[in-house]
Formats: sequence, structure tokens, C-alpha cells
Amino acid sequence: MSKSRPDMIKGTLDMLILKVLSLEPMHGWGISERIQRMSDDVLEVNQGSLYPALHRLARRGWIGSGWDVTENNRRAKYYRLTPAGEAALAKERDHWRELSWAVDRVMAAEGA
Amino acid sequence: MRWLDDLAFRIRALLGRRELERDLEDEIAFHLERETEKNVAGGMDPREARREALRRFGGVDRFKERTRESWGLRWLDDLRADVRYALRQLLGSPGFSVVAGLTLALGIAGTAAIFSVVQGLLLRPLPYDEPDRIVRFWMPLWWRGQEYDFVRERATAFEEVAAYSNDGVTLRGESSTSVTVAGVVSANLFDALGARPLLGRTFREGEDRPGAEEVVVLSHGLWRSEFGGDPGIVDTRILLNGRPATVVGVMPPEFFFPDPETRLWRPLDLDPADPAYASNGWLALVGRFEEGTGDARRRAELDRIVAAVGERFEYPDHADKTRDAGLIPIREAILGDVEGPLVLLLAAVAALLLMACVNVASLMLARMSDRREEVAIRAALGAPRGRLARQLLTETVILGLGAGGIGAAAAALSFDAVVAALPLRVASGMGQGFGEILSLDWSLAAGALVLAVGTGLLVGLAPVRRLGGEGPAGALSPGRDPVPDPGSGRLQSVFVAAEVVLAVLLVSGAVLLARSVAELRSVELGFESAGVVAVDLFVGEGDMGGGERLRFFRETAREAAELPGVEGAGLVSRLPVRDGGWQGSVRLEDRPDLTGDRAPNSYWRAVTPGFFRTMGIGIVRGRTFTGDDRTGAPDVAVVNRAFVEAMWPEGADPIGKRIRSLAVGDGSGEWTTVVGVTANARSVGVRGPVPPVLYRPYAQFTATNLSTVLVLRGSGDPALLAGPVRSLVRRRSPVVAVARVTPMERVVEAEISESLRLRLFLGLFAAVALLLGVVGVYGVVSYSVGRRTREFGIRIALGAEPGRLVRSAVRSGTVPVLIGVTMGVGAALVVSRFVSGFLYGIEPTDPWSLGAAGGILLLAGAAATAVPALRATRVDPVRALKAE
Repeated sequence: MSKSRPDMIKGTLDMLILKVLSLEPMHGWGISERIQRMSDDVLEVNQGSLYPALHRLARRGWIGSGWDVTENNRRAKYYRLTPAGEAALAKERDHWRELSWAVDRVMAAEGA
Repeated sequence: MRWLDDLAFRIRALLGRRELERDLEDEIAFHLERETEKNVAGGMDPREARREALRRFGGVDRFKERTRESWGLRWLDDLRADVRYALRQLLGSPGFSVVAGLTLALGIAGTAAIFSVVQGLLLRPLPYDEPDRIVRFWMPLWWRGQEYDFVRERATAFEEVAAYSNDGVTLRGESSTSVTVAGVVSANLFDALGARPLLGRTFREGEDRPGAEEVVVLSHGLWRSEFGGDPGIVDTRILLNGRPATVVGVMPPEFFFPDPETRLWRPLDLDPADPAYASNGWLALVGRFEEGTGDARRRAELDRIVAAVGERFEYPDHADKTRDAGLIPIREAILGDVEGPLVLLLAAVAALLLMACVNVASLMLARMSDRREEVAIRAALGAPRGRLARQLLTETVILGLGAGGIGAAAAALSFDAVVAALPLRVASGMGQGFGEILSLDWSLAAGALVLAVGTGLLVGLAPVRRLGGEGPAGALSPGRDPVPDPGSGRLQSVFVAAEVVLAVLLVSGAVLLARSVAELRSVELGFESAGVVAVDLFVGEGDMGGGERLRFFRETAREAAELPGVEGAGLVSRLPVRDGGWQGSVRLEDRPDLTGDRAPNSYWRAVTPGFFRTMGIGIVRGRTFTGDDRTGAPDVAVVNRAFVEAMWPEGADPIGKRIRSLAVGDGSGEWTTVVGVTANARSVGVRGPVPPVLYRPYAQFTATNLSTVLVLRGSGDPALLAGPVRSLVRRRSPVVAVARVTPMERVVEAEISESLRLRLFLGLFAAVALLLGVVGVYGVVSYSVGRRTREFGIRIALGAEPGRLVRSAVRSGTVPVLIGVTMGVGAALVVSRFVSGFLYGIEPTDPWSLGAAGGILLLAGAAATAVPALRATRVDPVRALKAE
């Protein structure tokens, strides 16, 4: 979805966050930047939804948080994936694959 | 399990709120910093970079709000805000708050106090093991030792059958002798109750038979007060009735049987060789059913016992033990007398509390009406109705809590006085009765708290329901005097009616009790109680031999008659009205067929010649005793009229007839000649018919009673004789104890003390109810009429007659009162069934009493309506019109 499109579906944002964190622990701002870069600027994270999503995921126990120091010696809150989160990520990915396959099939249908 | 983690999170959030806030702030700050830096690196100037970062983030404050909401702590913030608002409102109108608060506090104080008593007495389990297996045997008459042994042998479904009675015993102390109530029990009584001692042991089998050593078990209270809680008390000897007795055990603090005034227990002396064994009825029986005995088996057992008893013993008609047989659960037997009055008082005080709530709710409604503008604005600005309702309830609950605090404090301070005034006395009554096991505890505070919150919520209900009554437009209409809200006016009328119903119930209850007491007071005593004082004398059997004792009592009576201010003195073995007991079979010489178990029953008393005159008991035939009637002279007796009617119903002249009482120690055992008939004097209690009584001269009595009552008639205040008599007795012998000195009038009062106390409380409640009702009606009418001031002013200016307006206002104000009175009388009729047990000589549906209650309420209601109505019409019409 490009910049002119409305927000991502809530579930997708969660999945993307989990994926990013599966690569390495990161603070909130970093996650937002990473998603943007990894999608070649197609996906722009709505920062108003980012932190609520992070807190939600933390409440569920899929990610954990802790304060640490950045490379610039600044204090930031880092998130990391928990084992439960890993399992959740796999499930979300399967679910997404199923969903997008189904949508593709409908869109690929020729006129009858 | 997710909800568990969630809950854990919420709790952590609650406790670590500040840290969470700080984290949130820091996290956002960090994010914005990095975003700003990124923008600056992209070429923007710092200020613009910051602005862009903020814009991209979205509303920071909004975000913080949402995050906080996700923490689930929103309610805490709301609550804090509500409480602050509520306090502002309550403190801002001190008049309302004080009146409402005190009204509620009054109701809460009374209800919490009585609830605490109910909790301490009725809701607490009895100090016996598995009380539902314990029963008391029916008791139209006391049981004889012979009957007890008989029943005990034949009981199969019972694990234990025990017997008990009570007696006064003397305890010898350092310098004087005191008297205490003792339980005289069979050896297995404690086993039947399933009660275990704190120290030592209870009685062993055989200790209640002749030849056993003198043993005694102490109550915890007595152990503390008389023996200083000495831990080595077991196996020491104390002087009981002047004789040494070994203390074998001490009971735990919460134990009592059959009431808290019995402070020690000693075994019976069941001796089949003793004539009293077969003739003296003085025992009560309790039994413990075997485990798992069902209702059917219990009934079968009862029937078996009744049949066996009926077969073995023959009973005269008026003393037939096979009639009205029943097994009473121990709880009812012990608490039955106090349970009824307490429950009645609890219901009455709860009604009072309800009235207080209704009053305050009415006040709240009026206040809400005044604040309609403000509420409407807030609703218009977007406050959800739920929020407004919560705020209102917060306000009333805080009011309730404040009232609860004051009420609890008041109740705690007056607790002892309240307990002393409650009808908790016990028949043997020398002390506080059941009040002795009551103490101030958690139940008062807990009760007050629950009531505080409950009344707060209850009071808030009505205004909350009126909240959504109308849209903002109605409330915000131009002109400072908005149209009065008709809905709330109707609700207030309902409140008035409800208050009146409750008030009628309370007032009619008080009137009925008052009339009951009047009836009791007017009972013919048959003697003159004014000016007479009763002195209880006790002496231990080890301290004085039997003959010496009798001589001592008679000589003391003679000397007492010489004291200044004393007009007459006499002795009686059992005091009229107060003391029961001493009843048994009588034989009539001219009816030899009435023998054995068919012999008629009578009470007997030993008296000195001065007794009749001192008590003012009239003689209707023959003579009373003289100094010549003593040992060696022919045995004589004086009987009362009831005796004559019972023994010789055909109307024969009793003078000269010979009878023989089987009283133990009664003279020579020869035939006794009746020489006189007295008027019926109340001998046992004040209620019911006067029983047959037979009097014998003290000088011809050989019984070795340990106690007697000296009655003195004084020319002045009888209570003043206490001091001189005590000194006289002490001077004559230090081992004789004066247990108590009581004016006869007080003795009679104590008989009806339960009714007196109920009358006191109900009267108090009725007075408060009347006050609350009047204030309530006055408030409501005054408010609604106040709203109509303008209307009145206009109508008067247009020529309306003020009288008509007053009448119309009074009429509309009195309608709810009328409805309330009608419903109240109806409710009183419905409830009457439950109240009849407390009344004497009057029916609970007595039309005069109910009519009086209704009339009082109507008058009060009308007056409360008329005053504000009158005031409203006096208002200058011009001023009313100008009033803004």
C-alpha cells in the first residue's frame, strides 16, 4: 500500500513488527524505519498505530521489552521477539499466505 | 490463560503507574528526537523538522490517552475526578450535607448496633459440639430425679440424656461471702453438650450419686474474676456453701450453659433413698441424639419415651407429662427468649433506616432539580449518561460513608448502654444475662460499612433515574426559574407515602407495646409492693447447721423488725413473683383416692407470721400464723384461694380440713390442719392464672434450706433499708451472705422487664420515625410550594382567595400521607401475626391502637403540609412576581 492508501490492516502491522524483530531486537522508531526501508518505501508505518501495536504485542507476551543504550549512547526502549512470538509469527505468515493466495485467485479469474 | 497475564499486567500497572508513565514519556521523546534528526539530515531547519516529526506522529496527547486507556487505569482517574467533584459539591452545600449526613448516621448507628448484637448472640454458633443433635425435653413441669433416671435408662436413640437445674451458692472469699448462680447438673451433662474443658476435666460418671466427693467446674469468667486466672486452680479446694469442694476443671471463655449467668457447675446428688428423689420436680432434661438420627427416628423415640413415662408414672390431669410432649432444639431452648425481641428490634430499626434513606433521597431529588441546568450543560458537552450517573452515585456513597463513620462512632460509644437496655435478661437474672457475652467487635464496623455503602447507593438511585428525564432544552430554557420537573415531584410523593407507611408501622408497634405494659402493670398482684424490700440471705451448709440456720433467720427477722423506719418484717422461703420452684404433690385427708401419682399439685412456701402483714396479703377466712404455731404444737397450714378452688372445687369450707404436703423437711410429716385462706397473691410470675399455694410456718419447718428471703416494710423509701440490714446481718454472723436487696416494686418490674425494654426501644424508634416523617413531609411540601410561589403570587394578584390556595396545597400535600396511612394500617395487619408473641392482654390487630397510630400520622402530616402552604400565601404578590 502506497502513501495515498489508508492504514494497513491491524493484523498486518503486527506481523511485520514480529518479522522485523525476528531479525534483531530494535526500538520503536527503528522498527518503523526498517519496515519502510525493507519495503522500498512502499509501506509507510502510521506512527500513531505503531506504539499501540507494540504495547499490544507486549501484553500478549509475543514480544518483550527492556531499556538499553543505543549506539549514540542514548537511552531507548528495545523490543525483542519471545519464543511465543516466534510461534505466532509463523502462524501469521501462514495465514497471510493463505489470504493473499485466495485474493489473487479471485482477481485472476477471467470473465465467464 | 491470556486473561491471567492480562490481569497480572493490570495489577502491575496499578502499582507501578508512575514508572509506566515515565517510560511512555521517554519512549515518545526518543522517537521524536530521532525523527527530528532524520528530518534535519534531510535538509529541514530544526524547528520545522520538529514540527514535521510531531505531525507525522499524530496527536501526541491523544496517543498518550489511548495508551493509558489500554492500561485499563482510566477508571482510577475517573474515580479520583469523581471523588474530588463529589467532595466539592458536598462541602459546597453544608446545610444539605449536614442534615442528610446526620439523618443517615442516626439510622446507621441504630442498625449497626443491633446488628452487632444479633451477630454476637444469634449468628454465632453455640459453644457445643454439633448442636443440632442436642434437644431439650418438654417442660410443662419440671422433672423429678426418678423420672430422669427412668428416661435415661430407656432412651435408645440418645447417646446421652442429662439433667440440670440451677441454684444459688455461696463462695467464701477473703472477708465476705458472695453468692453466685450455679448449675446443678448430672455427671454427663458436659458430654451431652460435647463441651471440653480448658483446664482439668469435667465430671466423671458416678459423681452425681451419693457418696461422691464434692467437685466443681468453674466458668472462665468466674475463674478470672474470683481466682485471678490462677493456672494451678485444678485440684485445689474452694469453699462452696461453706463446704470444701475440689475444683476439677475450668471451661473455655466462650462456653456457657444454660446462660452466661451460671458461673460454675456442681453435680446433682441423685439418691433413690431420698424422698425428694421421687417427689420433687426441679430438673430440666437435655439429650444428645446419636449421630445420623433422622427426623423419623427422633419422632419415634419421642413417642416411645412418652408412652413409657405414661405407663410407669400416673399423672393428675393438670400435671400430665404425657401431654404436649416435644423435643426442643437446644438453640431454641437457650436463645429462644432473646431471639424474638432482638429480631423485632432489628426489623424496627431497619425500618427507621429505610425512612432515613427515603428522606435523604427526597432531599437529593430536590437538589438535583436545582442542579438541572448544570447537569444539562455537561450532558450537552458530551458527558455520557453513565458517567453522570457514576458521579452522582459517588457523591451519595461518599455521603453514606461519612454518615457511616459518624454512625459507627456513635454506636461504639453507646454500645454498653444499648446492651444494658436491651431485653437480654435471664430468668435467674442477677446480672446482665446474655449481655455478658457481648462485646464491641468487628461486626459493628463491618455492619456500619456495608450499611454506609448500601444506603449511599440506595439514596442515589432515585436522582439517577431522574437524570435522563428531559433533554437539555427543557432545563436550559430562558428565565432563571425553569418549569418544575413534574416527574421528580411525583417521585417525591411516592417517597412521602412510603415514609408514612413505615412510620405507621413503628408508631402502632410502640402504641401496642405501651398498652401491653399498662395491662401488665394493672395485673392484680394481691399484695402491696410499695414500701417493701426483699433481702436475699444465703448461708453455706458447712457454715451453719440446719437447725441453727432456721433459728438465725428467724432471729434476724425479729431484730430487723426493730430497725428504725421498719414497720414490719417477715420471712418467706421463696419470694413471690420472682422465685418459682418448690412445688409438688399434696395429699387430702378427705380424698384418700388421690394418692401416688394422682395426688394434686401445689406450690408451698415457709413463712413467718409477720409475712402476710408485711406483704399486705389479705386474709379471707380463718387466721394466719401466730407465735404459738411452732414445733410441738399441732401442724397448721394456710392456703390461698386458688388452692381451695383446685382441691375442693365443689365449694367446701376448707377450714379444719387436713392435708399433707410431701415437701421435704416439712415438719413432722403428720396431717396438717388448714386454719386460714388468703387472697390470691401473685406467687410465680405475673402472667397467667394464680396457682395453688400452701403456706407453712417457718417454726414448724425442718428443711435445711440454705436460703431465705427477708421482706421488710419501711415507712420511707425501701431502698434506704439496704445499708442497715446488711450491717445487721454482718454483725450477727460473717458467714451469712446478703445476695441482694431489691425493692419489691423493682422485682415486679423485672418480671415484665422484657416488655418494658421493648416498649422503651419501640417508643424511641416511633418518636424518631414521627420526627423523620414530619420533616420529610414538610420538606417535600415546602419545596414544591416554593416552586409555585410565582404561580400563587399571580393568582392572588388576579383576585384568588388565599384560603382556597392553601386548601388546595394542603389537599395535594396530604394525599400521599393519606395513602401512606391506609397502606400502613394494612401492613400493620399483615405483620400482626409476628408481633402477637410480645404482647400481653391486647391483640396486635387492636383497632384503637392502629387507629391512634394512623390518626397521629395524619395530624402530623397535615400540620407539616399546612405550615409551608400558609407561608406561601402570605407572600406579597408583587414580590413573588418580581422574584427571579
